[in-house]
Amino acid sequence: MSKRHSILPAIDRSGPRPPVNFSSSLTISDNAILQGTHSITMQAETVIHPRSKFESHLGSILIGRRCLIHEQTQLGARPADIDTAKPGGVALADYVTIEAGCVIEAGGTEIGEGSIIQAGTKIGSGARIGKVLISLHHLELGVDFSKNCTITPMSTVAPGTVVPDSTVVFSNGTKRIEKRDISDQKKIGLIKQLAVLRKMIRSNPDKFK
Amino acid sequence: MAPVIPYTYIQCPCSDNSAHDNANDTHSQDSVDDDERTFDPRAPRSNYSLYPLEYLLYCEDCQQIRCPRCVNEEVVTYYCPHCLFEVPSSNLRSEGNRCTRSCYQCPVCISPLQSMSMTPSQDPSHLNADGTASQAGTYALFCQYCNWSSSEIGIEFDRPSGIHAQLAKVKNGGEHKITAKEIKEKRKENPDEPPIPDEQLDADLQFSTLKSFYQTQLADTNTAVTGMQFDSVGFSSPAALSRIMSLYTGHGHPGRKRQGPSDVMREALTTEEGLKTVDLDESMAIKKLQQLGWDETASTQQNLEQTEVSRFQDGLRPIPYLLRTKRSKRCSVCRHIISKPENKVQSTRFKIRLVAKSYIPNITIRPLNPTAPPVPTTSRPQHPEEPSLEPLKPYHYIVTFKNPLFDSIKVTLATPNTTPGRFSSKVTVLCPQFEVDANTDMWDDALKDDGRDRRRKGEESNGQLEAGKIWERGRNWVSIVLEVVPASLRLNNQEPGADVDKSPLKEDEDVLEIPMFVRMEWEADSQQDVGAAPGKDRDGREKRELAYWCVLGVGRIHHD
Repeated sequence: MSKRHSILPAIDRSGPRPPVNFSSSLTISDNAILQGTHSITMQAETVIHPRSKFESHLGSILIGRRCLIHEQTQLGARPADIDTAKPGGVALADYVTIEAGCVIEAGGTEIGEGSIIQAGTKIGSGARIGKVLISLHHLELGVDFSKNCTITPMSTVAPGTVVPDSTVVFSNGTKRIEKRDISDQKKIGLIKQLAVLRKMIRSNPDKFK
Repeated sequence: MAPVIPYTYIQCPCSDNSAHDNANDTHSQDSVDDDERTFDPRAPRSNYSLYPLEYLLYCEDCQQIRCPRCVNEEVVTYYCPHCLFEVPSSNLRSEGNRCTRSCYQCPVCISPLQSMSMTPSQDPSHLNADGTASQAGTYALFCQYCNWSSSEIGIEFDRPSGIHAQLAKVKNGGEHKITAKEIKEKRKENPDEPPIPDEQLDADLQFSTLKSFYQTQLADTNTAVTGMQFDSVGFSSPAALSRIMSLYTGHGHPGRKRQGPSDVMREALTTEEGLKTVDLDESMAIKKLQQLGWDETASTQQNLEQTEVSRFQDGLRPIPYLLRTKRSKRCSVCRHIISKPENKVQSTRFKIRLVAKSYIPNITIRPLNPTAPPVPTTSRPQHPEEPSLEPLKPYHYIVTFKNPLFDSIKVTLATPNTTPGRFSSKVTVLCPQFEVDANTDMWDDALKDDGRDRRRKGEESNGQLEAGKIWERGRNWVSIVLEVVPASLRLNNQEPGADVDKSPLKEDEDVLEIPMFVRMEWEADSQQDVGAAPGKDRDGREKRELAYWCVLGVGRIHHD
């Protein structure tokens, strides 16, 4: 059987291999791209699509539990304005969905629990979606934040923006607070989606170790 | 509209009124001048008569180009753009021009709303604790884009369909909405009950009470004046309308003496008649604004879609979809239909569609020696950007005429030697007269003899620019060469004269536009009944001609 070749250019795997810290229940395609010098942590039951790119040149990357990273996303991208960017990487809390084609710049960027970053969005360096600071420490303590922000497709979040909990960012930066309380239902939907994807994406975490 | 250079616009002759007026006045002397008058694409009026070829229609009976300005439109069908249901025009009169099914737009972001169940369908263990789940089978409208839901304004429904009827009975916040009918019934049962307080009188109710009040007023006045019953006619008849006008504009016909009571109409005085006093106490609104902040206020854009202006987001209501129409187009001169879509809403086809593209040649222009790199196929709609033109340097352009007709056409071109306007560039058409072959069936052509109809480049011009020879020729197209010497944009270069305009460069004045007069001649099968004029033409062919102005936008002149 002949293998179908992608029209996309071959993956550029040059550059340093970052130290990785993977959970045993992680699903990561071997076509994902991990680059950089800082550590990349991916926690339990997260699914990483092929051709998603993680760059830890400027700071470490943390992906929480049950996150879903779609293809052609770029996490930890070099900030457009490197002079004003703060040091640091990217941190994603639990239940975060990053849809296809999103660019999330490095520099202390944080995305809160249950947030959905929809297709083609650009998140500037140091932006905080769901305002509470997330760190590994918090996650280990099991502190429960309900962030649940939604960034609609093709939006741009400027560097350093703080987006409060349950905010919907739509139509070129208009914001509103979402009042329907369906975060639990969203989580159930995400868990189901992850369960299907786990079967469909062949995981090869050893490649990055 | 920012034109993409190079472009070709065609002038519709309908707006050429000035020429006709002049011709009528001083026909004997000026008629020659009028004919030779050059069309100026920079004249202010030209903005309204130049169209890309795709926008134009063609009337077969007048044998003339028709633009969107010289056609009359008629509505074929009204339909909802969301559910695609056709709405009969009788419903339109009674129920208004909005969809009365379940089609709504989000009041916050105008994307379509979906009615969905409020109760989660899965696992009972994940039900919300606040009791919304316990009421089985409640529905709300949800916006998929900005995550708005009608439960935010306290509106929930029992059924997922017939939202319009359900919504008409609920106010924001879930309270029952009082209708005029209910008030009437209440009044019948209990005549002594006081009228509803002003806060409860919303826009819909006020409108219906005012309407009925004025209707009775009109009926009273009319019966008094003419002794005629107008109840059956209503306001919409022209007779009633003229009567209303005469009531307001003083006393109608001055010659006729009026009898009966005064024709001054009384205004509404009580709540039952539709009077609503303005609540000037705004302290509540101010307090609310202080508490909730700017984000909770409704924008002007959002309020434009609402029937009742609301200051805050929670006062916005879902917007029923505005109906759309399908229209047919008639020639305004001969009243023949030149475009008629199919009645069915789902169909995008046309019964009649006489577009100019299939009657007049398609003119395209491109540089002879392009300097811009070709655009890769993946980003195709993008046009290659040519660098701006150096003044006083000759440039060559290939102008291609593609014939859509099934008869060969003779084309004659004319351009002024210099372009009109403040900066006149020199223009030369190397081959102003040529013939374009018919648009035969492509397969016919390929099967007949493929050798003959290949590009006959070497035959007529040997790859060199030569006056009087066409540049290239194909099956149904001919390209010729146009030479342009752009003018300098320096103002002091202009010839001194009495009325030299020294004002700075206006917007888009640096675009080099060439007016070109195109005259085409062809022999077509006679359409008008052949038997009527037997002696005129034996084989039913008749000569046709069509002439029009077009404008070629060549490029921008370099600022020096």
